[in-house]
Amino acid sequence: MIKVENLHKTFGKDVKALNGLSFTAKDGEITGILGPNGAGKTTCLRTLYGLLKADEGIATIDGISAVDNPIQARAQLGIFPDKFGLYERLTAYEQIDYFASIHGMSGASKKAAIEQILKDLEMEELAHRKTQGFSQGQRMKVTLAQALVHKPKNFVLDEPTRGLDVMSTRILRDYLNRFKEQGHCILFSSHVMQEVAALCDRVVIVANGKLAAEGTPEELCQLAGETQLEEAFVKLIGSDEGVAA
Amino acid sequence: MSAGFGQLKALIIKEFKEAFRDKRALMVAFSMSLLAPVMIMVMSKTMIKEMVDKPTVYAEISGGEFAPKLMKEFRDENIVPLSEASENDQRIWQKRGIKITIPDTYGSDMVEGRVINITLSADYSDKPSLSPVRRIKDVVRDHARAIGYKRIIMRGIDVRIMKPLNIVEQDRSQPSSNAMMISIMLGLYLLMGAFMSGLSIAIDSSAGERERNVLEMLLCQPVSTLKIVLAKLTCSASISVLSIVLMLTVTSVSIGFVDLTKIGATFNIDAFTFSALLILLVPICILAAALQLFFSFQAKSFKEAQSTVTMLIMLPAFIPIALTFIDDRPAWLDWAPVAGQSIIMEDLFKGLPVNWAALAVTSLVTIVMSAALVLTLAKKLKSEKVVMALS
Repeated sequence: MIKVENLHKTFGKDVKALNGLSFTAKDGEITGILGPNGAGKTTCLRTLYGLLKADEGIATIDGISAVDNPIQARAQLGIFPDKFGLYERLTAYEQIDYFASIHGMSGASKKAAIEQILKDLEMEELAHRKTQGFSQGQRMKVTLAQALVHKPKNFVLDEPTRGLDVMSTRILRDYLNRFKEQGHCILFSSHVMQEVAALCDRVVIVANGKLAAEGTPEELCQLAGETQLEEAFVKLIGSDEGVAA
Repeated sequence: MSAGFGQLKALIIKEFKEAFRDKRALMVAFSMSLLAPVMIMVMSKTMIKEMVDKPTVYAEISGGEFAPKLMKEFRDENIVPLSEASENDQRIWQKRGIKITIPDTYGSDMVEGRVINITLSADYSDKPSLSPVRRIKDVVRDHARAIGYKRIIMRGIDVRIMKPLNIVEQDRSQPSSNAMMISIMLGLYLLMGAFMSGLSIAIDSSAGERERNVLEMLLCQPVSTLKIVLAKLTCSASISVLSIVLMLTVTSVSIGFVDLTKIGATFNIDAFTFSALLILLVPICILAAALQLFFSFQAKSFKEAQSTVTMLIMLPAFIPIALTFIDDRPAWLDWAPVAGQSIIMEDLFKGLPVNWAALAVTSLVTIVMSAALVLTLAKKLKSEKVVMALS
């Protein structure tokens, strides 16, 4: 479970990135974060990773504070970052192995976990190729595999479908659904409304560094009096008065 | 604890894999260790040739017919008239224009015991003319002295009266210090090698990783920044050490092709010198890697890292060169990083006993400085400023 409570973060003197943001991403659910550019999504996620320190408020992952104990909190997380790069001189297998070792795995259990993730993502034939020259979809798979190899209880994805073709997006979607069924907590930020509507159990709309609205996609549509999530989103971020809980 | 060690091991292995697969960076790292011995060999061969050989000197000699004995002396010393030179040599020596003029009154003046003026005209600021001019002067001086001594003996006087004082010279330098030129060069190359070899690997694993967007992912993992820095430091420093070992090995082989006995010098890198040099240089490799990582992690881009870090790192490499210009060195230089090692290295090459206390102190100072850099960098990598610079 990922819990964010009353996060405040100011950069410099007057750039308020987060202004009292609170939400909870529950286990066994896919929670989507929606927000316009500059709403504070990346800042919020970076606070979760323990890269940034909030001025006020708390962020916990399975009850472990990301501020006070970032290394232990990160151990509970699988991260698919905003900008992901690969070690181009390593093979896909070596790269996944590297991240598995960083998460403290070793020996036969590590090997089994890597084989499993390669199989799950249907990337066995990629495994022993150097990642240089991989297509966007292949790169996504490697990044996904390295984020999930240690079977984290919580999984955070920052705009994962950007640049992916339909097939890769479907694989990702399937995988996230399977993960959800196993009782994991998935936090997902995106700009693609259809995807959020199709995939997420709950949606958190962030605007100006705070929560604008929260609920299932249907609830949000109802709240805004629209039939499409996109219209609801525009309305909700445009007029936070009256709707923002 | 074991999990923590496993993490560090995985980090280090990954750095080595990446480094050894980066052919270009490796080539840069090891090019110096292969080129330096060749340079040393070629330069010492040329130097010995200049010291030992007496290449033919061509001079425009006018009035040679008046002084046949002097001409013979010239010829014995391989100084011959320009007219005898081949076409190619004639062009070179004509330009140099060394002229010896013997007056036509040479014979009669000699008989009457008058001072004879032999004119030597040359451009004394022209470096290639210096050695010929010196040799011509030596011949004339020796010939004149020989005639003078004969004149004194003819008058029944002991020639020793001309030499009331004699200087007895005792050169205490070891045979190996005659090869000073070689050891100075090798010392410089070793220090440069220690400083420069790991450079491209350090930049690639810091500024390069940031530019390839893999640094953020690593910083999000449950691993301390200290371990990340230590892994990168280990890799970069090991490459430098490897490069130095290679340089020393190739130098010991290539120096065998130079006949140092011609100048009465010996130079060899025995097991003791080899290990002493390594003990001396390993801390330098570590300091260099720490400096390189420290600055290139803070550079905004790969290109910036490449240009500024290369410049910054060159500075300490010039310390030994600067040291050769300081005759009376202050005591603290013995302990300062790079300077201290450079001074001990000089003693080693001269065959003097190693000052182990100074070695220990300078190594300690170097290691402490590296540790301070590593800790500061690990702390900096946790700072928001670095995180914000990621995107």
